[in-house]
Amino acid sequence: MKSIWNNYKTDNAYDELMCSEFQSRSVSHHLCQYLDSLKKEDIDKRKIAAELAIIEMGISFTVYSEEGNIDRAWPFDIIPRTIDAKEWRIIEKGLKQRLTALNLFISDVYGEQAFIKAGKMPAEIITSSKNFRKECIGVKPRHNVWANICGTDLVRDKDGIMYVLEDNLRVPSGVSYMLENRVITKRVFPELLQDIDVLPIDDYPTHLLDMLSSIAPNQTDKCTCAVLTPGIYNSAYFEHAYLAQQIGAQLVEGNDLVVNDDNCVYMRTIKGLEKIDVIYRRIDDDFLDPEVFRPDSTLGVRGLMRAWKAGNVALANAPGAGVADDKVVYAYVPEMIRYYLNEEPILPNVPTYLCSNPDELAYVLEHLAELVVKPANESGGYGMLVGPHATLKEVEEFRKIIQKDPRNYIAQPTLSISTAPTLCKGKLEPRHIDLRPFILQGEKTFVTAGGLTRVALKKGSLVVNSSQGGGSKDTWIINMGGS
Amino acid sequence: MLSRSAERLYWLARYLERTENIARLVNVHMNLLMDLPKGVEMGWRQLILINASQEEFAQKYTIANERNITRFLLADNTYSGSLISSLSAARENIRTTRELLPDEAWEQVNEMYLFAKKNLDTVSNRRQRVLFLNEILRSCQRFTGLLSGYMSHNHPYRFIRLGRSIERADMTSRILDLASLLLSESRSEEVRQYEAILWMNILKALNALLMYRQQMHSRINGDDVLNFLLQDEDLPSSVGCCISVLLDCINKLPNNDDLPQTLIELQAYVKAIDTRQTTQKQLRGILDNLQNKLGDFHNKVADNWFLSV
Repeated sequence: MKSIWNNYKTDNAYDELMCSEFQSRSVSHHLCQYLDSLKKEDIDKRKIAAELAIIEMGISFTVYSEEGNIDRAWPFDIIPRTIDAKEWRIIEKGLKQRLTALNLFISDVYGEQAFIKAGKMPAEIITSSKNFRKECIGVKPRHNVWANICGTDLVRDKDGIMYVLEDNLRVPSGVSYMLENRVITKRVFPELLQDIDVLPIDDYPTHLLDMLSSIAPNQTDKCTCAVLTPGIYNSAYFEHAYLAQQIGAQLVEGNDLVVNDDNCVYMRTIKGLEKIDVIYRRIDDDFLDPEVFRPDSTLGVRGLMRAWKAGNVALANAPGAGVADDKVVYAYVPEMIRYYLNEEPILPNVPTYLCSNPDELAYVLEHLAELVVKPANESGGYGMLVGPHATLKEVEEFRKIIQKDPRNYIAQPTLSISTAPTLCKGKLEPRHIDLRPFILQGEKTFVTAGGLTRVALKKGSLVVNSSQGGGSKDTWIINMGGS
Repeated sequence: MLSRSAERLYWLARYLERTENIARLVNVHMNLLMDLPKGVEMGWRQLILINASQEEFAQKYTIANERNITRFLLADNTYSGSLISSLSAARENIRTTRELLPDEAWEQVNEMYLFAKKNLDTVSNRRQRVLFLNEILRSCQRFTGLLSGYMSHNHPYRFIRLGRSIERADMTSRILDLASLLLSESRSEEVRQYEAILWMNILKALNALLMYRQQMHSRINGDDVLNFLLQDEDLPSSVGCCISVLLDCINKLPNNDDLPQTLIELQAYVKAIDTRQTTQKQLRGILDNLQNKLGDFHNKVADNWFLSV
């Protein structure tokens, strides 16, 4: 019998499941043995079963294209990614530490700006940030938390160390896929989940609702929550609907809501107008309120900022929270942790060169072919240069782009991000992966057990974004026994 | 409950009911045609008449044969009254209201839609068509059962019942309308010979044959069937029963204004129909009028509760 592991090459990267071609890591031992015991047909059958489940459950995301919007089935690899619970506990602590510092920073930015006054960061970084909203100065959200929901991207380099690649503090998506991936895995490998002690993740909606309730302006009454979506054509609409359903909130669009003269937000219901206390908004700041931000926005609600500033409605995440979701600001997070918490960062940053800094810019321009260059404010993996994978012409074009607007670019060494066995045409092959855990912060802080593992399905590719050919895996945090 | 959601659930239910009705209608019609002798002047064209879509059909097809008509009614996604169009519209509506329904509700409709889409080409083959229609009917029934068994009978549920009952009352009256047309005086003796078979199939089209037999204890005749389908108070597909359901929902909904009164009048109108005293032509007038009144009622529901854009 030919093993599906035949010719598994662990490449030049850290493999999450295998320490060599033949040897599994202790955390994945049981899983690997089990996979080995399956015949090729069995694996194929399970793969097909998973694909069917995804189509029937209607798990999809929307891809924008010139031919219109297409609803695509969520690409899923059935082989789970494993992490030892002992390691996870440290990561979890690091994530909490990081978000706590980030929230203190955002409060500070819109408050007294002590961090800048202490000389820890040049003021221009804030004033020139696209996501700094002067309308938010002086506002104090409940618990002093601005970023209530954060999706932090982690990658493991060749040295086995987990680095923070970026903090998504605006409207991070993917948590519904994390939850659905587990549902599918339970269908596909029920026997495995019984034998291996995998930490559960399905309590996320409960924690999300707790967090949203904890930021309601009025803590005495039962609070009314709504999820504000841009609508059916948004790529994450599936997730908006899914989360609203899971937490029993109303799923609303901009024109379902109205802000009255009393500066309260109401939704249009069959009974007339009904007051809303907390809005989990999945619309970018720019489109949130045509009165304050983009006047041509038809997705938002006129007067929403007024209501929020008057303290009559809570918005998660708070407007302006994106100021810390800037790849230049990212470079300062370790310093924030030291400054605000008086602690050493538990999770390291990827070394980052700021093109706004002349010395670092010179280095970047000299080493373009080795570096990854990213715009400070884009998401979805767009508009970046992966030096080692780019042609000479692309590198030269990028050089001009950076020189034109250095503030807007940062560069990082090209990491050799870790791999995990992925089913490719009936065989297991290593594919590069990252991890996006979700952190909730309100009155308390909560971290998902694991997160969404995204996988670059194309051989050798480092781009894991679903809009660009990425897929995902279930993530298993495994309790190995002992403390 | 959001006005937007009320509107979408209402339409979800209407479209699903329509899907089920079309499936049953085509199914029953196939059986009916198998029972009737060759040469009897009844064919597939009647199905187009029920849906009042003669013009649209004529624009697309030249021959009104079984193949074209079943394709038009079941698989044509450019005809808004087709099964696949109704089902797609139902799916769009539930996709945007899934947070109000039990988990499986969305999966149920999505699966049905995927099944229909995948098997659309098979409907031109009679045997395959039977299988196709049976699966659609079963899926619709599963959905109805799921909601009645697991969904709180709350406002969202009431809007679903509203949509379903209006659509149902409308369809029942359309089918009766067609029956009256077929049996109007101008028809030949030959059709009259098979009158009982026709009425039996009318009952089947509304899934009411068994209930009719239990209730009426008599051989099937036109007057009884008409009475039963218009006025019976217990049969879910009778017009009278649909109106009672509407009234029940409306009474429990907020801001119902003069809607209960409208329904009480409609109820009286249906009760007053005396099929033994009316000619077929008069009856057709009455049924037409009934359909208009249901249309007016729909407009009032929309004005009262839906998001005015």
